[in-house]
Amino acid sequence: MRPRSRTERRAADTAMRVAMVPAALIGIAVLAWILWEVIARGIGALTPAFFTELPTPPGMEGGGLGNAILGTLLMTFLAALLGTPIGLLAGVFLCEFGPSSRIATVVRFTTNLLMGTPSIIIGIFVYSVLVLPFGRFSGWAGAVALAILILPVVMRTTEDMLNLVPDELRESGLALGAPRWRVTLGIIFRAARTGLVTGVLLAVARVSGETAPLLFTALNSFYWPGSLSQPTANMTVTIFNYAMSPYSDWQAKAWGASLLITVSVLAVTVLARFVIRDKRKRA
Amino acid sequence: MIMATEERVLVKPPSEVAKQRPGEIEDASWLPVKVKVRNLNFHYGGHQALFDNSIDIPASRVTAIIGPSGCGKSTHIRVYNRIFEIYRSHKAKGTVEIDGENVLSPATDILKLRKKVGMIFQRPTPFPMSIFNNVAYGVKLHYRASRGEIADRVEDALKRGALWDEVKDKLGEPATALSGGQQQRLCIARAIAVEPELILMDEPCSAIDPVATSKIEDLIETLRDNYTVVLVTHNMQQAARVSDFTAFFYKGRIVEFGATKKIFTNPDSGQTEDYITGRFG
Repeated sequence: MRPRSRTERRAADTAMRVAMVPAALIGIAVLAWILWEVIARGIGALTPAFFTELPTPPGMEGGGLGNAILGTLLMTFLAALLGTPIGLLAGVFLCEFGPSSRIATVVRFTTNLLMGTPSIIIGIFVYSVLVLPFGRFSGWAGAVALAILILPVVMRTTEDMLNLVPDELRESGLALGAPRWRVTLGIIFRAARTGLVTGVLLAVARVSGETAPLLFTALNSFYWPGSLSQPTANMTVTIFNYAMSPYSDWQAKAWGASLLITVSVLAVTVLARFVIRDKRKRA
Repeated sequence: MIMATEERVLVKPPSEVAKQRPGEIEDASWLPVKVKVRNLNFHYGGHQALFDNSIDIPASRVTAIIGPSGCGKSTHIRVYNRIFEIYRSHKAKGTVEIDGENVLSPATDILKLRKKVGMIFQRPTPFPMSIFNNVAYGVKLHYRASRGEIADRVEDALKRGALWDEVKDKLGEPATALSGGQQQRLCIARAIAVEPELILMDEPCSAIDPVATSKIEDLIETLRDNYTVVLVTHNMQQAARVSDFTAFFYKGRIVEFGATKKIFTNPDSGQTEDYITGRFG
């Protein structure tokens, strides 16, 4: 036996660096490139009218995507309203009430499947359940499709976050004579608060960029979303339509909408990170 | 050694017995029994952790439970308030009577039981809320009380928990900002606030520093006057310092139980002696 030489170790270290640093850089570079493209091409389209006016017919200058922005906000909000409580409750069940029960095992497995299901399939599913029977595309159907996408994400993060709360905290609540539900709501939720909020924010950020599920459900519209039982304008399908169109004005607006969505998702994600960091600081 | 399997006869009423300092008591036979355990067996799934535990915990005294890691000390006291039940695979068989009522009976009102039997854990477990609300939490659970009544109760509990002077000016601050030792005293105050009769302490000092530990030991000393305390500890000096009675557990069995003085000076069992003198464990 002889001691490993310093050169040998150095060589191995350098080899690993050479392999890893470019890999990391490629990841960042792709994101930077996308951001650069979207900003460079989209920033020009973001006039005040872009946010407030209705789209104009092809060839006519001006107008905006106010209806699509409002529609996306409405449907995302509704989806969060629909998906979050169910996801939270299911997550609470998985972690607090029946962690090792048979039903929990089944639910956990299906949740994983649901998370991995391509969103276009969710779109087609909602199409066959909420669009075909009523004979028209609607904002409600769009919101439901997005809610189905939110549900498993919230469920999983809720379970994970509640699992992080030490058992001793649960036990000391119960040992004081508090019923399980009060311990869960009053103590465990409070302890996991920031994690739960983060989970919801990330889920919402994820679905706000979904196109496929809306293509089959909310479709799109040139008008303000007066009623959600009508086809409802939204940004992602608008991007899809406008980007494929031969009109340069529409293409510019598609870039503008892309920029807006990208920045919004980024903002929500950064917000979620801040919430996490805040939590770490206090802990 | 006290024969745990025989019924005890109360010879003198407790009022006649002046409180003795820990270590001065040599005989438990005239003390009323707070917890009477008979043939308690405990299983973690397929693994048996307790074997035929029988013991009489004297009322209004401090009883220490000592023994090497994994000998079933914590498991044993976790039966008294049925906290083990939240884990499905944990099963207890036998009888544990507190004031004559078998807590393992399905008829037991578990919330009432846990009001009567407080518990302190290894690591301090402040709830993520203010100092005041930590102590008020249990009070609000069990009593309909006005704000004033709750505030009085909180103050009283914090005083009994020897924490009032340190926190009276910052009751609204988060409890997690307190030091470890303060957090543990807060947990004791929180338990006291619901007026328990029996307080279980599961190695309450194992996660805090020596100075904080001595404060808690002083506090346990004052608790003797009003509560029955069962203290699980790894620290034999602690058991000798604060307890009146000591039970030595080994591999899930109660090897010996008696006055702390006797256990530490003249134990009946060779195993107890080996453990006390540091030959194993």
